[in-house]
Amino acid sequence: MSGSHRHDGHDGHDGHDGHPTFPVASQVSEFEILELAVRELAIEKGIFSAEDHRRFAEWADGVGPHGGSKLVAKAWNDPGFKRRLLENGTEACKEVGIDWLKPTGTGTPSDYTFFYVLENTPQVHNVIVCTLCSCYPRPVLGMSPDWYRTPSYRRRMVRRPREVLAEFGLHLPPEVEVRVHDSNQKSRFMVMAMRPEGTEGWSDEQLEQIVTRDTMIGVALPKAGRTSDEDVQAKAAWR
Amino acid sequence: MPGLTYDQLQKKAKDLAPEEREILDSPYTISNEAYAALRWVLHDVGGQVDIPAPYLEKGEEPWEMNTYLTCECLGWRGAWNSEERRRRENDLGGTQYFGLPYYARWITVATKSLVDKGYITVDELGAKIDEIRERYEKGKQ
Repeated sequence: MSGSHRHDGHDGHDGHDGHPTFPVASQVSEFEILELAVRELAIEKGIFSAEDHRRFAEWADGVGPHGGSKLVAKAWNDPGFKRRLLENGTEACKEVGIDWLKPTGTGTPSDYTFFYVLENTPQVHNVIVCTLCSCYPRPVLGMSPDWYRTPSYRRRMVRRPREVLAEFGLHLPPEVEVRVHDSNQKSRFMVMAMRPEGTEGWSDEQLEQIVTRDTMIGVALPKAGRTSDEDVQAKAAWR
Repeated sequence: MPGLTYDQLQKKAKDLAPEEREILDSPYTISNEAYAALRWVLHDVGGQVDIPAPYLEKGEEPWEMNTYLTCECLGWRGAWNSEERRRRENDLGGTQYFGLPYYARWITVATKSLVDKGYITVDELGAKIDEIRERYEKGKQ
């Protein structure tokens, strides 16, 4: 997924990320009515304002994996920034214009917390999950992909990470240690992959193109020429 | 096994591994094993056994995005917090937790929380839902 583009649920079934997409329901759902009822009552009662909702929507529209891509690309080109990013992720984000205190001044109710960037090495590969629900570093990666929230991913990543990674097409040699980081209310993570070969002399902007969402979750590796997660093939299975 | 129908195969498999179920209907007593099974927090899924499922992409639909925003605004203005949301989702129990779509869980527990805490009454909620449904019906004409 590139830039701030987000599905609106009606843009077809091709799945521009390469993964198959869900079919979209055509009728007005009970949940849609319930959400409207709760929102309107909350506004009438003065719990929050329509303006609050609008401001939050604006913030949510602006976040996406492009934020994280900027962090990784800059760190690959700038050792000083890389050090600062690994030492204090939340603080270093400000250098690329990501402020974890937005949009409320104290962050989002779900996300304002400690942010850690996990550096891959030739010996260690990192990957993130949230076994309790779906914690995800929204300010730097946007909204989580649906599969990240599924019980299947959450159940299996902590116990059989190599198998799950293989289903994403990522086969790691046995000598590479896999570290799974379980996100929670206090800690959010993002993976910084190793800079791939063939990218010597690339600008930040060039590098950002290959730092895709899946490489920052840890289910794919960046490489020169790979600018989307389309090569990740969903494994045929039943649920 | 050639020549066997599907039903016959099923029966054969059942005969090999007979399944016995105790009917749960508020029994006077239960075994410690049954109590342990009932206490099992099935929503805490890390490490539980599962089979692979396809990794489907699905961007937020408008009502889903609005649910996220409404739940966050409720947190922003102090009506609840995200940890309460998660806990309330767990407390829906396994059937609803795994039966409802992701954001349907969110809006279900947001509603329950507002009612439980007295921010809104069930009557107000019902009236508002009727009003919105009516609006939709009119919009269709």
